[in-house]
Amino acid sequence: MVRVENMISKAFLLGIIEMVDKDGLEETTDWLQKIGIKLAEIEGPGFEGAREDDINYIPLCPFSNILLDFIQMCGERPSQFTELVNLSNRKMEEAEDGWKYPALTTVTGILYHSYTTKRAELAGVELLNVGSKCPRTHNNVYNEKALERAGMNKEEVDKYLERSYYVCKMQYPDKE
Amino acid sequence: MNLIEAEILYENSVKILKNNQHEKGGFYASPPGTRYPFIYPRDHSVAILGCIAADMMDEAKKGLEFVLNSQKPLGEFSQRYDIDGNDASYKDLQIDGNGLVLYSMGKYFEATGGMFFEKLADKSFVEKHWETISKAVEFILMNKNEEVDLVHTINSIHEYPAYEHGFEIYANCACCAGVQAAVKMGAALGKDVTTWEMEAEKIKEAILTRMYSPRRRSFIKCIRVKEKSSNPIGYDAFASSVIDVDVVEYAPAYFGIIEQQDIKNRYTVRRIHDKLWDSEIGGLNRYPEMWDRNNGGYGPWCHFTCQLASHYTAIDDQDMAEMYLGWVVDMAHNYLLPEHISTIERFEIWFEDYTNAKILRDSKLTMIENVRNHPKWKDGMAYVTIPLIWPHAEYIRAYKNYIEKFG
Repeated sequence: MVRVENMISKAFLLGIIEMVDKDGLEETTDWLQKIGIKLAEIEGPGFEGAREDDINYIPLCPFSNILLDFIQMCGERPSQFTELVNLSNRKMEEAEDGWKYPALTTVTGILYHSYTTKRAELAGVELLNVGSKCPRTHNNVYNEKALERAGMNKEEVDKYLERSYYVCKMQYPDKE
Repeated sequence: MNLIEAEILYENSVKILKNNQHEKGGFYASPPGTRYPFIYPRDHSVAILGCIAADMMDEAKKGLEFVLNSQKPLGEFSQRYDIDGNDASYKDLQIDGNGLVLYSMGKYFEATGGMFFEKLADKSFVEKHWETISKAVEFILMNKNEEVDLVHTINSIHEYPAYEHGFEIYANCACCAGVQAAVKMGAALGKDVTTWEMEAEKIKEAILTRMYSPRRRSFIKCIRVKEKSSNPIGYDAFASSVIDVDVVEYAPAYFGIIEQQDIKNRYTVRRIHDKLWDSEIGGLNRYPEMWDRNNGGYGPWCHFTCQLASHYTAIDDQDMAEMYLGWVVDMAHNYLLPEHISTIERFEIWFEDYTNAKILRDSKLTMIENVRNHPKWKDGMAYVTIPLIWPHAEYIRAYKNYIEKFG
């Protein structure tokens, strides 16, 4: 259901699809990341969500209501979203510095991850997204390289994912 | 009131403030290892006001330094910070934080001498942070609706958007008083603050007219409006008023926007007392039970009870001042004050409501365990989050006011 008052969020998601068709996956990913970074610079250093020691987690999935609503409206998950998620997760597995990538479950996670990691960076902290849960399928995705760098295992992450959607280890430079 | 016990509670409250200030300057809302081991600008500002009342000026200055250095790029002071001053919010805008930081800084400035004591006032501190002060004021004004001259917020003192999203009384009073404080500090430094002065006056006028109900003889809680820039607000999706009694309808006098003796304030306080004084266990509740957001069970709050004690002190009503302050003294456990107090029965009703509705968050489980394990449970009482720093700071202020007038 589109109403003028809430149209802008749906327009943004539709814009992602249009951008993939027009400029490709890499350009779209880059564009989403840049938006996240710019918003983070406006907001400044910090960490949203719950915290337990050095673990930062998000009990509610960011943007999931809007995203699920949009997918329902489209009838199925747009293929462009799937391709963007797959590309990012392939890089996460293949890149030497794969820990920098999100354990991605949704297309909006690209924007979210660049925003949160930039805000953490401004606070002098490396944020490692060790695992995430998909708000649509409830499947967990892990970032193996981030897990290794954080010194954590999947069972530890699962404990947080039972009550959240996005789990990060806050890595302080002097604690490495 | 047992004056000896009251004095010991004062001394312990001073210790609690000292012991709960992190070396980097932030006042924990509750001690590390308990429910709120973060720095909330709202609680933090009241802790600074407590320090000023207790003549702990170094601690007050250190606290101000911490929070002023934690300002976000747009000028906002967010919901909470970690001990390093990093934003650690999990809630949307709470603009009263901006007002409170400015207000407490103004009180610090006045206490160090103010504009009438040229040699004593800590002008260099204000000058050092002038840019931060300016950004804090501009952020408030950025959130002011031009049609009604009130400041918009999502959350306010109860962090409860259902009743606070829009033009809320506490947030508007805190912001108005904050801008007024910035005007005073600016004037003392010779800055041109004419525009801010006019804007503060507009907000004050809007509070006194749009947020006061002559027929109810009370300030009202909130004009609910979804979007800050809605114009005309009558067409906003939320357009409605919250007219239920709320303890913070006392905010215009609390922040010194009107006199304690002002008839609007006295009628408002009468309504607050009539409807929120707890007939079973005493003390002042924060809002009606039926709002049903009563974490740990419905019951009276120590810091709001202290605030109204100061009102009765200010209007020379010693009986009522003693009843309010004496209740706080009586409720202290080992000279520690909780966030609020409930009964086992009310606690269990809340627990049932939240369990059945499936809205009992994991983070509440520790609080539940602590309440059930507290020695007062065996006396039939639920002590929720003890100690909380805020009531100790408010107690220091209320006790000093009481002793200075009646002691």
